[in-house]
Amino acid sequence: MKKIVALLLASCMVFGLAACGGSKGSDNAASTDTAADAGSTETASTGSQAPDWSEYDALIDEIRTTTDFANRVELMHQAEDMLMSTYAVIPIYYYNDIYMQKDNVKGVYCTVFGNKYFHKATKEGSDTLYINLASEPDFLDPALNSSVDGACLIVNSFEGLYSYDEKGDVVPAIAEGMPEVSEDGTVYTVKMKQTKWSNGEALTANDFVYSWNRAVAEETAADYAYMFDIIKHNDDGTLAVEATDDYTMTITLTNPCPYFNSLLAFPTYYPVYQAEVEAANADGTTPGAWCQEAGFVSNGAFTLTSWSHDENMVYTKNDNYWDAANVSLKELNFMLSADDTAIFAAYNNGDLDFIDTVPTDEIGSVMNNSDFYIQDNLGTYYLAFNVNSDLFSGMTAEQAAKFRQAISLMIDRQYIVETVGQTGQIPADSYIPAGMADGNGGIFKTADTSYYDATTTGAGNVEEAKALLEEAGFTFTDNGDGTYTPDTPISLPYILNENTGHQMVAESIQSDLSLLGIEMTIEVEDWNVFLEDRKNGNYTFAREGWLADFDDPINMLEMFTTDSGNNDPQFGR
Amino acid sequence: MGKYLVKRVLLAIVSIIIVSAIAFFTMNLIPGGPFNKEKAQSPEAIKVLEERYNLDKPIPQQYVMYMGNLLQGDWGVSLKTGRDIWTDISSKFSVSARLGGSAAVVAIIFGIILGSIAALTRNRLPDRLIVFFTTLGTAMPSFVLATLLLLVFCLKLGWFPVWTSQDPNYVLPIIALSVYPMAYITRLTKTSMLDALNQDYVRTARAKGVPRHKVIFMHALRNALIPVITYVGPMVAYILTGSMVVENIFTIGGLGSAFVTSITNRDYTTIMATTMFLAILMVIANLLTDIAYKLVDPRITFK
Repeated sequence: MKKIVALLLASCMVFGLAACGGSKGSDNAASTDTAADAGSTETASTGSQAPDWSEYDALIDEIRTTTDFANRVELMHQAEDMLMSTYAVIPIYYYNDIYMQKDNVKGVYCTVFGNKYFHKATKEGSDTLYINLASEPDFLDPALNSSVDGACLIVNSFEGLYSYDEKGDVVPAIAEGMPEVSEDGTVYTVKMKQTKWSNGEALTANDFVYSWNRAVAEETAADYAYMFDIIKHNDDGTLAVEATDDYTMTITLTNPCPYFNSLLAFPTYYPVYQAEVEAANADGTTPGAWCQEAGFVSNGAFTLTSWSHDENMVYTKNDNYWDAANVSLKELNFMLSADDTAIFAAYNNGDLDFIDTVPTDEIGSVMNNSDFYIQDNLGTYYLAFNVNSDLFSGMTAEQAAKFRQAISLMIDRQYIVETVGQTGQIPADSYIPAGMADGNGGIFKTADTSYYDATTTGAGNVEEAKALLEEAGFTFTDNGDGTYTPDTPISLPYILNENTGHQMVAESIQSDLSLLGIEMTIEVEDWNVFLEDRKNGNYTFAREGWLADFDDPINMLEMFTTDSGNNDPQFGR
Repeated sequence: MGKYLVKRVLLAIVSIIIVSAIAFFTMNLIPGGPFNKEKAQSPEAIKVLEERYNLDKPIPQQYVMYMGNLLQGDWGVSLKTGRDIWTDISSKFSVSARLGGSAAVVAIIFGIILGSIAALTRNRLPDRLIVFFTTLGTAMPSFVLATLLLLVFCLKLGWFPVWTSQDPNYVLPIIALSVYPMAYITRLTKTSMLDALNQDYVRTARAKGVPRHKVIFMHALRNALIPVITYVGPMVAYILTGSMVVENIFTIGGLGSAFVTSITNRDYTTIMATTMFLAILMVIANLLTDIAYKLVDPRITFK
């Protein structure tokens, strides 16, 4: 009898919970109300404290459609000026990538987007390379993958019309030469080499037409479907891409695009083998099922021949690869792990030849070794303010910007790159990273695009920062030792995901801000919650970072438009 | 006995249903979602995915649908990778079971032997040494032990590779996994063995001139094992489902890591599947424990 009562009680509890939980659908429906309610505690609705963002949105639209590339550069500078003037985006440093490679390994190269290419690698005394890049990626399907680690595997086992060489230039891969572009810049004609899939069948222009249309199809639900937005869409939703013969294709763009060659080298633009994809997705609900085990057809230098999930992957040289004669390695053997300690130990033990993860506290000990490499990336580690945060209630947009500017001035970027980054990162004085192309034959960042001296921000700016905070409405008491105490306490909650490096950056900033009596509280969140809080604007101050997908500033500017899913500062909302 | 078993099986089914309900509804209360990514997905893509996996339905309806599919043997697909969950779980469980099963055997055999030795040499050097090492074994977290093993046996002595593309070497992971349960079993065995050795029936057996080894193994140890069995049942079920820490350090694709990762990823279907799998194993282990009681102790009757 007792047991029956206990079971009844437990059941009541469960269904009570269910009732509290409600439906996911209704959760979503209620989210607007919740956000509005939360406004009274976490965020306020867009008011005078937030900058007017309609001009920025219009500017991005103009950048997307303009045909005057010289003017486009100017417009992008204006957009960055506008973004930086809000101080809601506070660049800290430009990303770089590190890796370690045994001295008997040559020919591996990395791009500024973080991809590692092994098809030209050689290893003295062996034809098998043992590699760790990360743990197992979610997808190996070029259309579905959106992670850098997944892209590294994809670029070595698939190949698109174009690829990147050792110098970082876009070069023909499956394409025969660079594309012919129409006078108005909207029609690209690409001639292809006669190449084969790994099963020996011919790879034709129709394979690309199929693959690209598949990537944008709604049912595929690809993360990077928007990468095809620049291509004109037909009335039936398909792309204006045509195979004029087996080895020629024409692509019609909505407007001229200075970085389209870069897109053609992006993994989402790689081909997939139609027969295999469709056979594994009979009911249309498992688009990535065809490449969830080893043995699928690909067209790159290596094919996946063995996959022990969460343990290792073996890629074997693809003899049907068009440039197989220049691939000297027979096998790439990947350790699937994200455990820094185990990876570093395996490398030191000689079990691995190539790694791109080094524990933070070991970087100093290997920095000057001959097998330690640094590669600049196109990306920026930055911090974001939620412009609608209650912190700025009662301030004008200008005052709020001054408050944020004061915070930016107080952050010792040099200390962060030297003690946390440790691998020669450059302190960031702009949001668009150094080295990014401007889409008009030049480099975007010049000496003029420095928004402050990033090497001197920090404790030396206390007076200037205090003056800015006073303009924002705060008053201070001088402690007499170069520090100040605000007459009204300033509390600044900062969120980050669990990571030693991010934690160290946060602690450094916390220490910097304490000179002005600002109490920065560090809240470490679960990764998933962190992403959701940033996206929904349930935060005041947060860690951020962006690694560019392609070499053009628009990739890093359009994410801040009002409707963008990556508009974490909540501009215009 | 038959009636008892039927009753237990029915109760087990109810327990599993309750566990599934608690897991399902609490999982949906946790903030976050399976499609959150650093570079945000488009609302259109998220809508397609939510419809595909029925996440657009009210949660009670989702639960009913999930259980309905499960009863038909459909464990669903991972929301993160799209992989068939049963295929994933069965392959990962085979890895975890091989590793955990070996660790359980090591823990039980050595635990009982060491516990018996400690009891028979009470307050002498062997006992003190065993007590020292079992205290260390129960106090040391597995991530410390695993890292220490890696450092000593792989890096310093070079006896094992840290990682190999061939079948992973299970010696070090088995040691890392078995030390804690072995230490615990040792302490349990020692305590209950000491208790058994002081019982009248043992004294009687000795007085009757039964050989010492027979007194120890046939009379004392058999009775001393009853509390050990209580612990061993759930321990085996737990250890068979893997350990995230040990799997990560030794790069073993087991169930423990998959379970934790699924929670981090809010991969609802995988969370449910691994929870249900663990619950079923636990229930079976408890049932077997009860049956083992009966075999070891004839005084126990099933009601």
